[in-house]
Amino acid sequence: MSGRIMTLARLLRERKISCRELIDRYICRIERLNPLLNAYVFTAAKQSYKQAERAQKMIDGGFGDILCGIPVAAKDNICTEGVPTTCCSKILQGHIPLYSAYAVRRLEERGAILLGKTNMDEFAMGSSSETSCYGAPSNPVNLSKSAGGSSGGSAVAVAADIAAVALGSDTGGSVRQPAAFCGVTGFRPTYGTVSRSGLIAYASSLDQIGPIAASAEDAAIIYDAIRGRDCLDMTSVESPSAPSLVETDIKKLTVGVPREFFSDMVSDEVKSAIGAAICLIERAGARIKEVSFPHLSAALSAYYVISCAEASSNLGRYDGVRYGRRIEGADVEEMMVKTRSAYFGREVKRRIMLGTFVLSGGYKSRYFARACAVRESICSAFEQIFGECDAIITPTAPTAAFDKGGNPSSAEAYSADICTVPASLAGLPAVSVPCGLTEGGLPIGMQIICGRMKDSLALSLARFYERAADVRVKLCGEVLSEL
Amino acid sequence: MKVSERQAEEIARLARLEFSSEEMKDFISGFEEMIAFCDGMGGDLQAETHRPAKELDCLREDAVQNSLPADKLLSGAKSDNGFFVVKRVVK
Repeated sequence: MSGRIMTLARLLRERKISCRELIDRYICRIERLNPLLNAYVFTAAKQSYKQAERAQKMIDGGFGDILCGIPVAAKDNICTEGVPTTCCSKILQGHIPLYSAYAVRRLEERGAILLGKTNMDEFAMGSSSETSCYGAPSNPVNLSKSAGGSSGGSAVAVAADIAAVALGSDTGGSVRQPAAFCGVTGFRPTYGTVSRSGLIAYASSLDQIGPIAASAEDAAIIYDAIRGRDCLDMTSVESPSAPSLVETDIKKLTVGVPREFFSDMVSDEVKSAIGAAICLIERAGARIKEVSFPHLSAALSAYYVISCAEASSNLGRYDGVRYGRRIEGADVEEMMVKTRSAYFGREVKRRIMLGTFVLSGGYKSRYFARACAVRESICSAFEQIFGECDAIITPTAPTAAFDKGGNPSSAEAYSADICTVPASLAGLPAVSVPCGLTEGGLPIGMQIICGRMKDSLALSLARFYERAADVRVKLCGEVLSEL
Repeated sequence: MKVSERQAEEIARLARLEFSSEEMKDFISGFEEMIAFCDGMGGDLQAETHRPAKELDCLREDAVQNSLPADKLLSGAKSDNGFFVVKRVVK
């Protein structure tokens, strides 16, 4: 059974549809569905058609590959030359980048077509996409529910097939959790394997661009296209040259299940769905081993200390001097203060303040240094587990999608990230795949974490599970079904 | 941990942010909750030697390369004669 990208690529190659016709379909769907879903904050129809023309020439000339003509979306914090990139923040309204991110350039070189920029939490700070200055996206599975965040718009676009595939960014779970909430697949690569050049920074030691796709196969195709060493990102590394997807000999695998990820904070429905998925993998021949992952709640606190500290530094550049909006003041200092105070949203200001606090004199050793020590312990804990296991399975999130506009306290909202932040802190590859539905029909995501640079194993195991389980979330129609 | 208004104002000054007194009151209670959340790291882990970055060879050749055109870079804000224009800094 071919995934969405392969099927579209075959139809384009066999001339059953042209690139222009395919883009027409997607643009019509966006016009019809986006007012309801608010997945896109900017569309780029003029550019999309130009790219479609180029892609068609590549296909006609016999040198278009699997990505040629495929419609993609990019999160609004990923720079796209000539297309607005605002991080869904008032402070960057009107900002049009002069260059595209490395990941976007790699896709466009292969003939992929950018449809537009997707909705997100402001500066990627949040888990519901509700802090966006353009309003929250809606979950296409149930419009009253959150799409998750911060890459909510990308997850919605893929789930509703108003993009064949999308790029998101994951700092503490922002690709995996919205993918789980919307019933699609989201992949966070090993830190460093995808360049951060052109990704507007939130927390530089945690941010990674990752694909959100209708299947692990599609996620792997995108990952293979966008990974690679980039001289503009000193943290980027080479990854193994072989394609990510390989046939998995499940009988040779040991899969760890850390008991701390299945505590009372996880709903019974999520536990049940993950349990059923683990049983399926065991029946297929894998060895299942219960393991322990200490310091889980400490990991969550450490994540917020580190990410906010880095954010307080990274967001210092938004001062109204060189780009973005500006409010004039009596002097430069007043200009900067007024600009930042007027145009940053509430959650962004909170996190900048927290980050400034944990780095300030008298508190740095109590908070930031301690958080770094916790991070080291998390890395060691994973190393120990991966000495005995090939992969770890956990829930992606403690619950399925929560109600939109619930207005939880900070602590409640932050606690929802508990399953995803450990892999982020350790820089490990992690993928979320749909593994079931709640009684109310909401998707549940299962997270597979593997060791550093074992992205291929994570994606291949995810594909194995998707094929074996054949879990399909009822998505609101697909372009493929119309062709 | 309690945060006084004076402490919060000092943090805001460092962060180049300002809050009205209403906003500050509202902000402080949420901020105390966030700090309590960060206290969840516990006190038993001590800062050990941090491991160095795994990939150390991250330097490139010290060679002149093309950059973005200056006029495009200046187009994002008020500029004049190759400089961004702001109020006088040195008084």
